[in-house]
This record gives sequence, C-alpha cells and structure tokens, in this order.
Amino acid sequence: MANKRNATMNVALITAVAAAILVWRPTVLINGLQSAGLYASIAIPMGLILGIVHIVNLAHGEFMMVAAYITYMLCAATGMDPFVAMVPVALVTAAFGFVIYKLTIRQALKAPELNQLILTFGLAISMTQLANLLFTSQTRKLSFDYVSASLDIGDLSFGVYKFVYIGIALLMIVGLKLFLTRTTTGKAALAVGQNPRGAAIVGIDVDRTYGLVFALASALVGMMGAVFITSASIFPAVGSPYTMKSFCLIAMAGIGNIPGILGASILLGVSENILKAFRGTRGWADIVFFVLIITVILGRSIRGKKA
Amino acid sequence: MKLKTSYLSAAVIAAVVIAFPAFLGAYPLNVARSVMTYMALAISWDMLLRSGQISFGIAGLFGLGSYASAIAVMRGGMDPFLSILFAAAFAGVMAFALGFAILRLRAMYFSITTLALMEIFRIVMHNLHDFSGGPEGIVLSAPIFGGNSTALYWLCLAGLFITIGVSWYFEKSKMHLALTAIRNDETSARSNGVDIFRYLLVAFVITSIIQGMMGAIQIQSYGFTTPETAFDANFTLLPLAMALLGGIHSTIGPMAGAVLLGVASEWLKLKIPYGHLMVYGIIIILVILFMPQGLVGLARRMLRGSDKSGRKAGASHE
Repeated sequence: MANKRNATMNVALITAVAAAILVWRPTVLINGLQSAGLYASIAIPMGLILGIVHIVNLAHGEFMMVAAYITYMLCAATGMDPFVAMVPVALVTAAFGFVIYKLTIRQALKAPELNQLILTFGLAISMTQLANLLFTSQTRKLSFDYVSASLDIGDLSFGVYKFVYIGIALLMIVGLKLFLTRTTTGKAALAVGQNPRGAAIVGIDVDRTYGLVFALASALVGMMGAVFITSASIFPAVGSPYTMKSFCLIAMAGIGNIPGILGASILLGVSENILKAFRGTRGWADIVFFVLIITVILGRSIRGKKA
Repeated sequence: MKLKTSYLSAAVIAAVVIAFPAFLGAYPLNVARSVMTYMALAISWDMLLRSGQISFGIAGLFGLGSYASAIAVMRGGMDPFLSILFAAAFAGVMAFALGFAILRLRAMYFSITTLALMEIFRIVMHNLHDFSGGPEGIVLSAPIFGGNSTALYWLCLAGLFITIGVSWYFEKSKMHLALTAIRNDETSARSNGVDIFRYLLVAFVITSIIQGMMGAIQIQSYGFTTPETAFDANFTLLPLAMALLGGIHSTIGPMAGAVLLGVASEWLKLKIPYGHLMVYGIIIILVILFMPQGLVGLARRMLRGSDKSGRKAGASHE
C-alpha cells in the first residue's frame, strides 16, 4: 500500500520536474533524453552480461570502440552506410566476444570476483592499446547528411537524429524481454542467471549459455558501435568512459532490471545537461556522473545494512 | 643463519642502489626514478590488497599529493621539502575521511568507487581555474634541490625505502595476520575479535599517505603538473600490472615486477611510441589466467619442488 503511494508520488514528482525543465529550458530535456538513449543502449548489453554471467566486464566500452573502428574501416573502404554495416559488424563482434569469452573469461569464472575484475581490466587496456598501435590516437570521423536533420517548433530548433538512440534502447529492452521470456534459449539463460547450479541439474548447458549470452551482448554493443560512429568522432580511449557509465547505470537500476537502466540513463542525461546549460558550470558536467555513482553505491550499501 | 644472509644481501643491494648516482648518468637516473615511483605505488597497492580490497584509485591519491604539495609551495610559500610531508599528511587525512564511507563497501563496489573518486579529484582540479591553474596545471618556480639529478634520485629513493620499510613492517607485525584474516573470511575474522573496519582504515590511510608522498616527490622533482599528468590512469595501471607480474601479497613481488616492467617499458617506449602499454594489458591477462601467484610464487614453487625434504607445496601460510 505504502509502496504504491510512494510509486505514485515518484511518478508525480518526475512529471513535475520534467514539465518544469521543459518550460524552463526545453533543450536541456531534449539533449538529456538524447544522451540518455545513447547511455542506455550501451549499458543494456552490459546489464545482460552482469545479470546472467555475473561478470563485470570492464572491457565493455572497448568492445564498442573496436566495433566503431571496424565500422569506420568498412564504411571508409566501401562507402557503406553505418546502418547497413551494422549487420556484418554485429556478426564480427559476436564472434569476437565469443572467442574472448572462451579464451579468457571462461577460465576465470571459478576464480574470485577480484580476479575477474582485473582480467577484464587487462582486456580493456589491451584493446585500447591495440587500437592505439594500429590507428594511433588521432580522432576519426565519418559525416553523414542525415545526422544534421533538425526540427523547428516555434523559435526552438533542435537536432532530431540522436533520438534514434532512444529508439534503439527501447528496441533492445523489448527484444530482450521477448527473448528472455518467450524463447527456450532465453528462458534457459534466465534460469542460468538465477541459479547456475540448479540450471545445470535440470540439464541446461551452463557454459554454452554463458558463451551465447556473451556473444549476444557483444553483437548488441557492436551494433551500437556501428551507430555510434554516425554522431561522434572515435579515438582509442573513446569507449572507456562508457564502461564506467554503464556500470553506474546498472548499479542504479539494480542488477537484472533492464528497463530500469533506461530510467537511470534519463536521470543521468538530464542532470548532465542541466549543468551544461550554463557557461559557468559547463566544465563540471562530467562530475555529475561520478557523484551519482558514489551516491548510488553508498546509498545501496547503507540501505543494505539497515535491511 | 638463513635470516642473516637475507639481511646481508638486502643491505648490499641497498648500498649499491644508494651508490647508483656515482656511476650512472642523468638519463639512467631519470629512468630509475620513474621505476622507483612505480615500485612504491605497486607496493602500496599491494599493501591494501592484502586485506582483499582492490583499489583502482592509486592515481587519485597520487595526484592529490602532487597538487597539495604544489599548491602549498605556490600559494602558501611552504618549503618544498616540507610540502612533501604536508602532502603526505593531506592525503592521509583525506583517506581517513573518505575511508569512513568507502571502506564499508566490498569487492567491485569498492574498486569502482575508488576509480570514481579519482575522476572526481581530476575534474575538480581541472575546473578550479583560479586555485589549481585549471587544465594548464601548475608550474613551480624551480624543482626541488635546483633540479640536481643526484639529489632528486636520493629523494625518490628515500620515499621508496620508507614504503618498503612500512610494507615490511606490515608483513612482520600483527597487521599481516589481521589483513590476511580479513581477506580470507571476514565473518571468521570478526568472530575471532579482529576489528575489521579499524584495520582496513589503518591500511587505507597508510597506503594513501605513501601514494600522496610519491605524488609530491614527483611534482617537486619535475616542477610542473597538469590534471591529466597528475591523475594519469597509468599511475593506477602500471603499478597494478607490476604487482601482479611480480606476485601479490608480498613486498618482494611488486619490487621484482616493477624492476622488470619498468625497465622493459622504458625500452618499449623507444621502440613503439604508440601502444607500448599493450604489453601491460597482455601481462595482466596472462598472469591472472596462468600464474595468479606471479613470478615470486612461481620461483617459490620451483624452489620447493627441488627441495624434496621441504614442506608440502600446499602449506603456504597465505
């Protein structure tokens, strides 16, 4: 009962804040939603891995970076559109993710959590540095006409292209929901995520499921890498902030709560853009995220103690 | 008897290291200083790791120490040498205050929080234009000791000796038992009367003091810093790789790893200007997968294997 009232209160509060921001600075809300879509669609594949394989993949953003570079080469060589290149790139990253899983992560599944953390940290460094070695740290960019599409409402003009990220995030949420609840493989994956030993007892091949989930998440993040290049320039370290952001968003939403990631992303995206709206505070926008992550983690630990 | 020879060899090595400036030029001394800085950081990281807590925030306290020292000299007119002590104390006080909050976290939550704290420090220094010089950083009027390379070398060496001494004390004292107990099983440690939080706090504060001190020595030796160099992720990454390669949960492991990797990276930097750090990533992966005890663990196992009269291999006190 109290819970329900709380939820209604929250919804009312959020609507009020959103309305206030919309009236006060509409661009803040628009930009905030657009970056939220990007954050969420990168974080969701990581949430999938964390929810089922229970591994914090610190090389997550680097997977995206690798995909972005592959897309870059493909598009620069063939003149292909990134949205077309998305398909082969997703296949390549899926295979890449599967191989990485088999070669490294699978060996560390039984090891203490800290070893896994350091292992994926090592993967992240290797991937960034390999990109550095092959492409140097020079930034690269592809430009497309449709990215600059804009919309005018009254005297307000804003870019609409980046709303595509919100669309992708929603598609991922719905797609994963259907996959995990409607298909046999998905149900098996969910079961493995809840209790690997129990799943093994009823005859689910846990290792195969882990490999599959890893490949699926890599494919999704690979697709994101392909789309990412349309709106941002890339360099070897471009992925690493997204690893942290993704982890933070997942921690905020709670592990296993995939739709919650989008909600957390909107909170992060809008708060960042509130600071970006003022000249004096623009440089501080990056700090929002780190303060948010520490608040969330500490808040959870304190609440955990009380419960 | 055995103890005596190890003390003797340590003394001989120390004497040789102290005498390095007599027969090395400025460039090798410079390389030695960077290796020693990383070595001290690697040892300090390992000291906290002995309690099971992985910090990804070495660079945060290192950079904080750099800035504390530089600002004390620039704005407070403090003596450069004194400012190093001040920076160490400042890092310690910060760690003490932060420790109350973050030492209640465990495993990945602790690691991620330390990483986030490092980023917060960096962004704060980046944005306080009037106080810390913002993105352009700080330039001191002159490096400490007038930039004399021998004196700088000895200063850095002194920092390293302090670190080794503290780490050695950690290994020999009650601290070692407490931290190992916490790492192995917190519940049983607590039920045996170990005050977990207090020991973690002491370990965190002391390792932070070391990191802050090394940061201060670094800036006083070079005479300038920027947020991007003081909080460079390499100050987290390299010590981590060094300690892992050498062998964690010991003093000698990180030292061996630092010498090997430090010299190797100096050489690789000349050969492969872009991406030489990849070697570090690959070493981390290989060590975690195939050699979790590091080189020292490997050597220990080989010694034990050849020594048939010795104890069982599994009888390690770790």
